[in-house]
Amino acid sequence: MNQFTFTGREKMVLMFFMALGAICLAATYFVEPATMVVMNHGHEETVSTHHMRFWSNFLQNVVFFLGMAFTAMFGYCAFITAYGGWFSGMKRLWEAYALWMGVGLIMMLILIAGVWMHWHHLYHWNAHGVTDINDPHYDEIIAGKAPFLNKYWYTFATLICVGVYVFITMRIRSLSVAEDNGVKGDYSYHNKMRGWMAAFLPWGAFTSAILIWQWMMSVDAHWYSTMYAWNVTASFFVGLLSMTVLMLIYLKSRGYFVYVTENHMHDIGKYLFGFSVFWTYTWFSQYMLIWYSNNGEETIYFLTRRDQYPILFYGNLVLNFALPFLILIRNSSKRKFGTIGLVAAITFFGHWFDMFYLIKPGALINIAGSNDAATALGSVTGYALPGLLELGTFLGFTAMFIYFTFSKLSEAALAPTNDPYIGESVTHHVI
Amino acid sequence: MEGHKDVLYGLYNDEDVLMDAITKAQKDHLDIHDVFTPFPVHGLDDVMGLSESRLHIAGFVYGALGTLTAFLFMTWVFTRDWPIIFGGKPYWSVPAFIPITFELTVLFSCVGMVVTYYTVCGMGPGADNPTLDDRITDDKFCLSFNVSNSSKDEIESLKGFLTESGAEETNIKTI
Repeated sequence: MNQFTFTGREKMVLMFFMALGAICLAATYFVEPATMVVMNHGHEETVSTHHMRFWSNFLQNVVFFLGMAFTAMFGYCAFITAYGGWFSGMKRLWEAYALWMGVGLIMMLILIAGVWMHWHHLYHWNAHGVTDINDPHYDEIIAGKAPFLNKYWYTFATLICVGVYVFITMRIRSLSVAEDNGVKGDYSYHNKMRGWMAAFLPWGAFTSAILIWQWMMSVDAHWYSTMYAWNVTASFFVGLLSMTVLMLIYLKSRGYFVYVTENHMHDIGKYLFGFSVFWTYTWFSQYMLIWYSNNGEETIYFLTRRDQYPILFYGNLVLNFALPFLILIRNSSKRKFGTIGLVAAITFFGHWFDMFYLIKPGALINIAGSNDAATALGSVTGYALPGLLELGTFLGFTAMFIYFTFSKLSEAALAPTNDPYIGESVTHHVI
Repeated sequence: MEGHKDVLYGLYNDEDVLMDAITKAQKDHLDIHDVFTPFPVHGLDDVMGLSESRLHIAGFVYGALGTLTAFLFMTWVFTRDWPIIFGGKPYWSVPAFIPITFELTVLFSCVGMVVTYYTVCGMGPGADNPTLDDRITDDKFCLSFNVSNSSKDEIESLKGFLTESGAEETNIKTI
């Protein structure tokens, strides 16, 4: 079967989960009380929550899925640029993922509008008066970062960088589909694609770091780490690989992608294993450099998370390092669909959980006003641990992502018959 | 000669012909001594029916040994033998141990696997390791049988098999 059909039953199931996700997301807006009482330096203080649970929930999911789509495009470009042939048989899947960036950009527009209209208080740098030296809220550190952390840059970087990603992705997709309708042996489409891909790689590599700093790291506006962007990109990529594994297992069970065998799964498994270790490497290096330097301004970031959010802090390591590392270390476990499917399910949730860990504690500190004040709030559901509503939102976004992928898959033939590497991909053999 | 054996081998020009010959030999229940190729041939292990190498299990054990050695040694040094305060950190500073633990894990696992591999395969410096034919390291593919205890007729029939299955030439060598 070379043409994917999106069945009514699949649509119904996915629609159900999307509706569930929408309800859960909306519920996070309404269930959170408008104010919280915190202990700030020994005295009680009432702070407004600004619907932070909703906005941080939204940001977390938007960024996670947008990031996965970005790494799909980046990985695709890297494979083709490096003459990788094994991957051609399943390239339609990653093209479909990459096209999600358009949807992600629209969702980011909501967050950008929120920055301008002060709908949310995710970013402390956007608060009133923090850069004005005569204002009582003046913050010297944030004022120093103001040339980068301001709403103009936030808007401009998001629109331009993601806009270019979407543009190049759509160019490559249309060339790739046009290649199918062309003549076998005509490499002109492929060569044009390579040109666009060579342009995408440096652009994507540099600008993705800027976007990650702005979207995610600036939730903790006082803190910064150069490792952060690497760590988050690795997280996106492992999430994407896990999604790919699960999707391929499902699609194969429906009779598609018969030419994607356990040999391809083995290669994806090696990426999954390798990037899980790479993620841990950056996670640990970031921690250790700051821990070792003992720089109070930065150490407090980890101190708060280690002491107040131990389940997030250590759970992250168990889910995203210990389990995939120990299960996938054997050759044969990368080739068994059951085992690698289990690992993929763990790491897919695990990296969503990592996004939760990266955003939520910072969001709570932003509404509480200080680390001390947030300490007393450490056990609030939706910040200290994902509540049912967060999990529901996660399911909803996943369903939407799959819905989008399936509808894009049904628009083109699954096997790119005129791809120069398709023969190499079909006969791919690892051991 | 004690410890020496006579090996009958055929040289093939193409790995596909060699693969077919191996499959045929398996079907005829011939006892293959070994197969030599100038480069790794994909799927050869499957055709020969070799079980998965256990080298990686040894590698895991060496790695775990490296982890323990590094971690326990540093723990002993910094808590018992020669405690020093670095930058106000506690004596037993686990994060600072991790890079060295990692390095020693890799080192133990690599060196251990290399030594094991050479020992098990009878290779390495000082090992007597005759080659059946020099061209095996260049462009010929070799299928060999151990004929130390075979009668003349058996050797003839094996020779016939090799020629029939596409071997360019056959030879007997005592190694």
